[in-house]
Amino acid sequence: MNRLLALVLVAGRRLAGGLLLLVGATFLIYFTIRSAPGDAIDAITPMGTPPEVKEKLAADFGLDQEPLAGYVTWLGRSAHGDFGESLVTVTGEEVMTAALPAFRNTLLLSFAALLVCQVLATLLALVLGEPSSRQQVLTGALYFFTAAPSFVAAIFFSQALNAGIRHFVDTNGYEPPDWYPIPIDAKSIMQYVFAGLMLIAGDGLFMDMFNTVRAEISAVRNAQFIAAIRAKGASTAPHTLRNLVVPFISAFAARLPLVLGSVVIVEYFFTLDGAGYLLLEASKQRDFPIVVGLSVLFTLSIIVMNLVADVVRAAIDPREVARNG
Amino acid sequence: MSEPMLTVRDLVIEFDTQAGRRRVVDGVSFSVQPGEVLGILGESGSGKTLSTLAVLGLIPGRPGVVSGEIELTLDGVRHKLLETLPAVVTRSAQGEYRKDDRRWGRMVNRQMRPLWGRAMTAVFQNPKQSLDPLMTIGAQLDESVRLAHPELARPDVRARSLDWLSRVKLHNPPRVHASYAHELSGGMCQRAMIAIALAREPRLLVADEPTTGLDTTVRQEIVELFHELLAAERRAMMYISHDIREVLFLAREVIVMRAGKIVEVATADDLRTGTGVRHPYTRTLLQAADLPVGEAA
Amino acid sequence: MGKFARLGFWLSGLIVLAVIALGCIAPLVPYEPADAVSYDDALVSPSLAHLMGTDEQGRDIAIRLVKGTEAFFLPGLMAAAISIVLGGLTGALTGYATGFFRTAVLGALQLLDTLPRLVFIILVCTIRDPSVMLIAFVAGILFIPTVATVIRRKVESLASEDYILAHIAHGFSPVRVLLHHILWLQCWPILVRQAAFVFGYVLFVETGLSYLGDYGVQEPTPSWGNMVAQVRSLPSDAPWPWLIPAAAIVLTISGFLAFGNLAARRGEEAVR
Ligand SMILES: Nc1ncnc2c1ncn2[C@@H]1O[C@H](COP(=O)(O)OP(=O)(O)OP(=O)(O)O)[C@@H](O)[C@H]1O
Ligand SMILES: [Mg+2]
Repeated sequence: MNRLLALVLVAGRRLAGGLLLLVGATFLIYFTIRSAPGDAIDAITPMGTPPEVKEKLAADFGLDQEPLAGYVTWLGRSAHGDFGESLVTVTGEEVMTAALPAFRNTLLLSFAALLVCQVLATLLALVLGEPSSRQQVLTGALYFFTAAPSFVAAIFFSQALNAGIRHFVDTNGYEPPDWYPIPIDAKSIMQYVFAGLMLIAGDGLFMDMFNTVRAEISAVRNAQFIAAIRAKGASTAPHTLRNLVVPFISAFAARLPLVLGSVVIVEYFFTLDGAGYLLLEASKQRDFPIVVGLSVLFTLSIIVMNLVADVVRAAIDPREVARNG
Repeated sequence: MSEPMLTVRDLVIEFDTQAGRRRVVDGVSFSVQPGEVLGILGESGSGKTLSTLAVLGLIPGRPGVVSGEIELTLDGVRHKLLETLPAVVTRSAQGEYRKDDRRWGRMVNRQMRPLWGRAMTAVFQNPKQSLDPLMTIGAQLDESVRLAHPELARPDVRARSLDWLSRVKLHNPPRVHASYAHELSGGMCQRAMIAIALAREPRLLVADEPTTGLDTTVRQEIVELFHELLAAERRAMMYISHDIREVLFLAREVIVMRAGKIVEVATADDLRTGTGVRHPYTRTLLQAADLPVGEAA
Repeated sequence: MGKFARLGFWLSGLIVLAVIALGCIAPLVPYEPADAVSYDDALVSPSLAHLMGTDEQGRDIAIRLVKGTEAFFLPGLMAAAISIVLGGLTGALTGYATGFFRTAVLGALQLLDTLPRLVFIILVCTIRDPSVMLIAFVAGILFIPTVATVIRRKVESLASEDYILAHIAHGFSPVRVLLHHILWLQCWPILVRQAAFVFGYVLFVETGLSYLGDYGVQEPTPSWGNMVAQVRSLPSDAPWPWLIPAAAIVLTISGFLAFGNLAARRGEEAVR
């Protein structure tokens, strides 16, 4: 009972911290907008934006006020989910109406890729066991190739796929476009699968995860208390698994920001219907309500992930509560 | 003298380190009589812990045990613990051992599973690190009790656990039962660990420097605790320590190790009077403890 | 360190040296992208005249590859310098300091750390004139928390060690001990690793954005990223114009990461 109370306290404190971080992050985002050179509103809208739209925008974002007052206005509106209206990309639509479904896709893709990455890394760690000089050829090569940027990996992948298609499939004179992996419907699930694979295989994610996971597994397996449990004849599996939950969740949460960056480029590469694609498109056309709305969403998801990881950590590891209590 | 319950012969342990292969236990032989205490003395790094871990089949790192014989006699049944070792070890022309560690690990697990706990268990050197940090002391103690007595119902398990906690002289057993390792002091963890090990009711207990890092009064209590608990139930023990007085108090036979080798085998009585002590290191130990040192041989 | 790791260290060191050499030479090579176009020589395969062949516009790929290092070399160095200098200092300070100051700095670091890096870079590019220098500057700032955290952990573990206490007891000023004995003598392997990582990150962002084509380096100025982007229009029997820069990107990023890690490992073995 005592512990539950302590846990609720930790969760409350973390929530407060998360909110504080959110306020801070939105503050940074807002002041990045305000730091625009010259007349902010001209700098951040596309050429030829009608004056009435500019005015509305200036009011929405509090640009016509003192910076701090403007921030409070903007934050107040944002807190209600009102991030203004899209200027170009999906003209006139509420930012969140356009951004939320796209962002859901992105989160789904990122989480799935990260989860599969962690599972694969764990399997490889279990197969390889403790590091040995003989494995270094394999891990070294993996290290080298998975450090490639995801977009380069994606190019190699799609080129190889196309070469394969040209080689094995009689295209009846129809040449599949070289820059596109397979000429299929852009909404097809295969696009997402490929994108997920590239997220796993690129940007050094996999080996980074592998190294962490292997070190954590090895640390628990070689921990003295596991030897003690073995020596008394009890099964070590429940103890090992329980002790791995926290490091695994931490490893997952720690890599989410990296994946949320890679996903932007990968989505653009595969023209997926997601927040990354939308972000780049909007940014290109200076549709800045969308860009700002998405930036806040990305930041929010990182904060929430860390919050969840912290609370789970506190729920499982009593030392965590003691440290924060 | 009856037949020993544990016999170790020519145990050799090697490790691969950054500086290359190192032999850390070099041809160690000893035996433990049923219901008696074998004291193991020796300076830091002399291989005391590893020799006992080899008996438990818990050597960390590779290649680990590379040759030797360990025989455990239990209820008239003889278990040869290293019998399968030659199958995984090959020796090069230069005399260097190679070992298939994964296969060996599987073999050890299969062979030791029925012996761990029931035949022998251990109290390791660092009590805090020997306890699962995510489980209460009670849960871990209950686990031991349940393993020793699967027939017990839940309330009985708990009652017995609390009884064990009071037997190792922990005040307020219910509170300790509900505590986590990080909430207890080193001495309390050590007692809890001893309770967990003894609750498993092993025939042979390995106690690896159970008093190191504790203050003097607590040390005394722990040593006396061992004395009481073992005498009452006639369990055998291997007791490792740096403190010759503790060893002399508990053990009947004593071995002294240095740099991976046994340099002295003597009875506690002989050591107490200094008769027949041959090795200079043993003499230093005796001198340091203000005990009589016999004539150098 | 095993044989294989040593080999990796030297190989990756070679890559790093080569990139640094190219980065230093590149500004000295006269190159006018507009003059280089020569449609008669389009898509010449690698030969003696054109070591790496030419692209669709007949521009020599070898020269563009060398000039392409300009796009990321200085920005990468700048970002690495910003993150390790500021990260190192804040890390050392928070490792040493206590009380409100420490809490405040840690909070600020955590705040920076929650910003999604690439997304924030894109936000900045939307609002200000995008340039690789700006991108690198933002990246350098955003990496401060990463560096500061590892340094802080190290400093915290060192601060209680006897020899550090002894130095202070012997009358060395704490600032000197912190900067020289802790940061310089003990943390350099960490700093090398982080610097290599940040440099690699800038290369990743620069080539990625240049590949996508809006914020990085714009044609006709060469960047490895926009060279790779030619893949979209190249016929399949002439892959070298994108394959060579793509390989250069992979080699450089992997090389820098590997060098950072292996050099740091060697350093840590030596420091101990
Ligand atoms: N996994 C390992 N890899 C390499 N060397 C090891 C390993 N485990 C132990 N050693 C070495 O083996 C030697 C003997 O270790 P052991 O733990 O048995 O010493 P000990 O006599 O118990 O010392 P202490 O009194 O300090 O506990 C030491 O020199 C140690 O460095
Ligand atoms: Mg020991």
